[in-house]
Amino acid sequence: MTMAADRGATMPRVDVQFDRPHRQHEPRDQLSVRYRIEGCDGERIRAIEHSVLWYTEGKGEEDIGVHFFQRITDRAMMPPALAAGAFSTPLPQSPLSYEGRIVKVRWCVRVRLFFDGSRDFVSEHVFVLGRIPPAGLPASRT
Amino acid sequence: MSAMVSNPFSTRFTRPGRIDPLDDAGRRVDIDGLLERFRGLGSTAAIVGPHGSGKSTLLTHLAEAIERRGGRSSRVRLHSWRDALAAWKVIRQSAAGDAVCIDSWECIGPATRILLRLAARLSGCGLLVTSHQGTGMPELMRCGTSTSLLSAIVRSLPDHACWYETLICEADIEAAFANHRGNLRESLYELYDRFESRGRRIPGCVGADPDGGDGSDGVRHGIHEFTSGFSYVGAPERNLG
Repeated sequence: MTMAADRGATMPRVDVQFDRPHRQHEPRDQLSVRYRIEGCDGERIRAIEHSVLWYTEGKGEEDIGVHFFQRITDRAMMPPALAAGAFSTPLPQSPLSYEGRIVKVRWCVRVRLFFDGSRDFVSEHVFVLGRIPPAGLPASRT
Repeated sequence: MSAMVSNPFSTRFTRPGRIDPLDDAGRRVDIDGLLERFRGLGSTAAIVGPHGSGKSTLLTHLAEAIERRGGRSSRVRLHSWRDALAAWKVIRQSAAGDAVCIDSWECIGPATRILLRLAARLSGCGLLVTSHQGTGMPELMRCGTSTSLLSAIVRSLPDHACWYETLICEADIEAAFANHRGNLRESLYELYDRFESRGRRIPGCVGADPDGGDGSDGVRHGIHEFTSGFSYVGAPERNLG
């Protein structure tokens, strides 16, 4: 992905609704997601990608794994008037979400919109897979 | 639910390409102007500066600007002289008018540099490199650092309004900059640690919780949503996932 540009431009907004409270999912759960796209002209969207993926977050090298991916380029297949869409996928057993101090493992739903003029817009929505407790807090404030 | 607090100083938000290109005073660099200058220099030039001064970030932005204008760019990061063969292959596969961007040019010896420059000339492709010291190539830009620059970078990170001055303040920025003698990358790593030490202790400090509540540990659930802003992609199918 390239660097964000046109920061001053009106941004689309992608609202995502998960089917579980607090976005808490268990391994092998069926993840069902509904999303709504607002604030952009649907006619200018060339493609939509949905993905469910995990990534690491920390100070060093990053890792990423795509669990589910769907790309819609046929306008007839796109959600009606691009207002809303939904998808569903079974979740795997691992890796589980982890909140470490050096590294974190996050799961997210990513909705990516491709516009005319080779522009894209990415919206990521984090959820939790599993119930690993977060790493301990430091003994005292720095 | 576990506390989920994104650390804005993680590589995810600070790697080259994610941070705006800024000069040593913290002002945005005119990438298009720099690209014109690169062409004016015969499309062979170097970005020079010490460790962690933003050379790779600038290189990434220039490579993207080339693609945005319809050109083609390839990027090679050298870790040692052994990577020279990979760089040579990329140059040989490039067509006239393409740009090959090579990070850490100083990793290879003088003879190899001459060979790569010769290969680029034969291919007709441009060559844009980063280096810690002078390369004998025209200098496109010299990168430097300052606390103003680090401060500007920090203020550009996600959701900074939620944590700037409450978790990370100017004193932290100045201390990190001094501790690492102006190396921005290392300074950002130190700020990562400082944020990590403090970020989970202050309720409601990071991001917005779309579910509207705190976790049982009294910590907000952190950044649940992240948007990229608009980006430019040369070919969407190469950016999947």
